[in-house]
Parts: sequence; structure tokens; C-alpha cells
Amino acid sequence: MRNLLAFLLRYQGIMLFVLLEVVSFYFFLTNSSYQRAAFFNSANAYLGVLLERRTQVADYFRLAELNKELQADNARLRYQLYPPDYSRREADSLPVGRDTLGRIVYRHLRPLPAPTGSKSLTLNSQLLTLNSKPDTLLLGNTRQASRPLVAARVINNSLREVDNYLTLNVGSADGVQPDRGVISAGGVVGKVQAVSQHYARVTSVLHSKLQIAAQLKRDGTICSVKWPEGLDFAHALVDQVQRQTRVLRGDTIVTSGYNAVFPPGVFIGTVESVTTEPNKDFLTVKLRLGVDFSRLTYVYVVPAPPSIERDSLEQHTSELPASIKAAQAKAAKEEAAKKEKKP
Amino acid sequence: MSLAWTIGRQVLLFALYVSVYVLLLDNGSVVLFDLGWNFFYLGFLLFLPISTPVALQLLLGFVLGFSVDIVHDTGGLHAAAAVLLAYLRPWVLRLLTPRDGYDAQDTVNIHQMGWQWFLVYLGVLVTLHHLAFFFLELGSLQHPLLTLSRVGVSVLYTSVVLLIVQLLLFPVRRGRG
Repeated sequence: MRNLLAFLLRYQGIMLFVLLEVVSFYFFLTNSSYQRAAFFNSANAYLGVLLERRTQVADYFRLAELNKELQADNARLRYQLYPPDYSRREADSLPVGRDTLGRIVYRHLRPLPAPTGSKSLTLNSQLLTLNSKPDTLLLGNTRQASRPLVAARVINNSLREVDNYLTLNVGSADGVQPDRGVISAGGVVGKVQAVSQHYARVTSVLHSKLQIAAQLKRDGTICSVKWPEGLDFAHALVDQVQRQTRVLRGDTIVTSGYNAVFPPGVFIGTVESVTTEPNKDFLTVKLRLGVDFSRLTYVYVVPAPPSIERDSLEQHTSELPASIKAAQAKAAKEEAAKKEKKP
Repeated sequence: MSLAWTIGRQVLLFALYVSVYVLLLDNGSVVLFDLGWNFFYLGFLLFLPISTPVALQLLLGFVLGFSVDIVHDTGGLHAAAAVLLAYLRPWVLRLLTPRDGYDAQDTVNIHQMGWQWFLVYLGVLVTLHHLAFFFLELGSLQHPLLTLSRVGVSVLYTSVVLLIVQLLLFPVRRGRG
């Protein structure tokens, strides 16, 4: 007995070591099954509270990072609100390969009109059942989706000049190009005027040269929004609203998407007052802007339009919508008449 | 210096090392180059009084490692490595015994034992601990280069941190003899 005790005492170090290592390994190896259910894990009440506090404190030091993530997330979500021009278009055929002469073989997704012979009829009906839903491969949506809104931060902002500008912390390196629209959660902000590699200068809505193609949301009447110098930064004017149009206080004005700078349907503001002036063909509509320019922080730049097709087509034909053209002509005539009267 | 005072002091130190490690030094932002982890809590084991009984050291190592394990949900990984460290510590101390043996009041103190002694002591023990820890954590020898680079960076990281602790917090006493 004494020998045993002496033996134990002599080798207490190595024996305890082996024992503790065995226990540790047991815990380590059975970690997943047993530990989770036991008290000894980080989810128990006391430790949980402690770790939560730790996270709360630590989060303060990464607020900027968290904000950026949220902003990018917002940009992605917000972008889903603005479907591209061709979002409802369907492809009628798909290139499926090349024949032996190198010509591209198309597979038609719809039955050809006036089929002759029963064979082709059955073939077409087979195809039809195969492709009862239109294939979205050719619709180009992927191209658009890969260039979502660019999230940006306003780093400089003027409010009370005659022509006001913003500076954003994104530039050509982020895919921003001149003449792209800039929007924020509150609505339309402006239009990119110039870009450098990492910064962009934006003519805000509060700029006398900026006109935004807009429409009344209620009935779709097109108009344009501008900010004449001298107005405060919370208001703008709606231009080219015919006298006979019914505009009510509180009506919503949104972008029409006609000039491809802004996607259609972006909020601009609400009508605050409507006045009819006796010697004018147009209503004077005062608008309360949706964006509070005095506290603008995060904005999104609308990506380049997916196709040059539309722009080049419109430039070729160079046609403004007929109503606007007529209105402009009339306005010019009036101006001329006034000038004549003055002297 | 009574026994009770020593025990109380060590209990406080234990709480301090573990809480500083868990609350401050144990999150993603203090990982060095994605390679170096910090094992600040090992300072408690490494700087225990030299005359601490072996069995007590082993038990303390286990409790220390296991409390970190609870926070990390790693079962017994930290505990296994810490117990190994506690077991090896007396051997390393014996290897490094000065010519005339340890004095009764000797502690692991850089001012008292000298730079050379301290750096060898710290380097050897931390390296052994980290080797054991990282290979255990991986559970295999499949990625030796990555694991070795982790060990290397972590050894430097932990050693520098513990060196700073020594220089800042341990009292300057007159050197031996």
C-alpha cells in the first residue's frame, strides 16, 4: 500500500497529465454531439449575455463598414423596382448551334404561321409544348442585372447657389458615366455632369439647366420638372402642364423614363400648389421635392442604359414627343410676342 | 508573502487574463495577416510562480484552456494544448536552470532572469504550444505549409504581446546577484 502511494506521488505529474489530456480529447472529439446539449458551451445564459454585450460594443467600431454593406444591399433591392425597357419582351427563337455550312441554326419557340403538311405541324406543336414558357436567355436581363445601381456617398453639396452641384465618392472606376441619373431613397437627386476616376460631379435638381422628364402618376400626363433660380431647396416647378389638365394638390410626380436618364416611376415630389395665370397656356405648378437636399448622405447612380440602340435611334430621328414640341413652339412664340410688346 | 495572498492574487490574475482575452483580444479584428492568432491567456500559465506544484499547474492549465474552450465552442482543444504547455513548463524550466539553481523568490520575470533566459523560455514554450494547437485543430497533417506559417506568425504575435505584458506590468527588481 505504501509502495502504491509512493508510486502515485512519484508519478503524479505524468499521470495527471495523461488523465487531463484524455479528458480534453474526449471533450474535443465529442464536441459536436455532447457539448451542444451540455452546459459547457457558449450558448448558456451567462456567457451568452456576456458575448452579446461584447458584440454590441465591438459593433460600434465597424459602423462604417456595416453602413456600407447595408447601402450596397439597398442598392440591389432598389434596383429591382426599376425594370429595364425590355423586361416584358420575349424571344421568339434561340440560336442552338451551327449547321455544317457554319450558318447559325435557330430554334423557334413559337409555331410558325401557316404550317404546311402534317409533319411540321406535329413538330411545331411538340416544340410548343416543350417551350410553353418563353426562354429568358436572350432577353438580356443578365446583362442589366450585372450592372446594378452604384451606391455612393455625397461628399460635397451646395444648396443656396444659383446652380447647385453635388460631389459623389464614385467615379469612372466604379462604372459611373456622365449623363447618368442619380436617385436616393427620397427620390430624384440629379444627373452626373462629369466624372474623374474616383469622383463624380452631379448637377442636382436644384440647377437651372436641368430638366427632368416627368409625368403625373395619377393619369400619366407627361410634363417636365425644373428648378428656376431663386426658389428654395425644398421646391421646384412643374413645366409644360396644359391648362386643361386636372392637377390636384397632393398629386404625385414621378419620372417618365422618356430620356433614359432615370428609370420610369422614380418619385420626384408632390404637388403643393396649382395656380392658373391669365395670360399663360400652362399651369404654374409648385412641387415639394421628395428629397431633402439639406441632409442628403447616400445616393445611387443609375447604370448606363443597356442598349445604345434606343439612344441612337432617337438621335437619328431626333424627334421630341409631339406634345412637348408643340408646347415649346408655343412658348417661344409667346416670348417673342412679349419682347415685341415691351419696346 | 502569505500563501493566501499568493492564491488570491493568482485567482485575480486568472480572471484578468481570461476576461481581457475573451472581451478584447478575441475577435476577427486582431487576427494578423489572416494567419496569426493571439493566445494572450497563456500568459497566466507562463508567468505562474516557479515553485508551483506540477499537479496544480496541470489543473490550472486545464481549467484555463477549458474556460476558453467554452467561449469558443471548441470542446477541449485549448484545454489539451494548455495542459501540454503546463506539463512541459517544468521541463523547460529545468533545462534553463541557472548555474546556481533557482532562488526561492525567483519568478518568471524578464528583469530578474534576463532577456536571454526569458526569450528562450517564452519562445520554446509558445512554439510547442502552438504546434500542438494548430495541428490538433486541423486534425491532420494535410496542409503542413499553411499550418506551419500559422504557427510561425502566431508564435511571433503571442510572444510579442506577452513580452509587452512583461515589460509593462512586471515590477523591475534588481537582477540576480
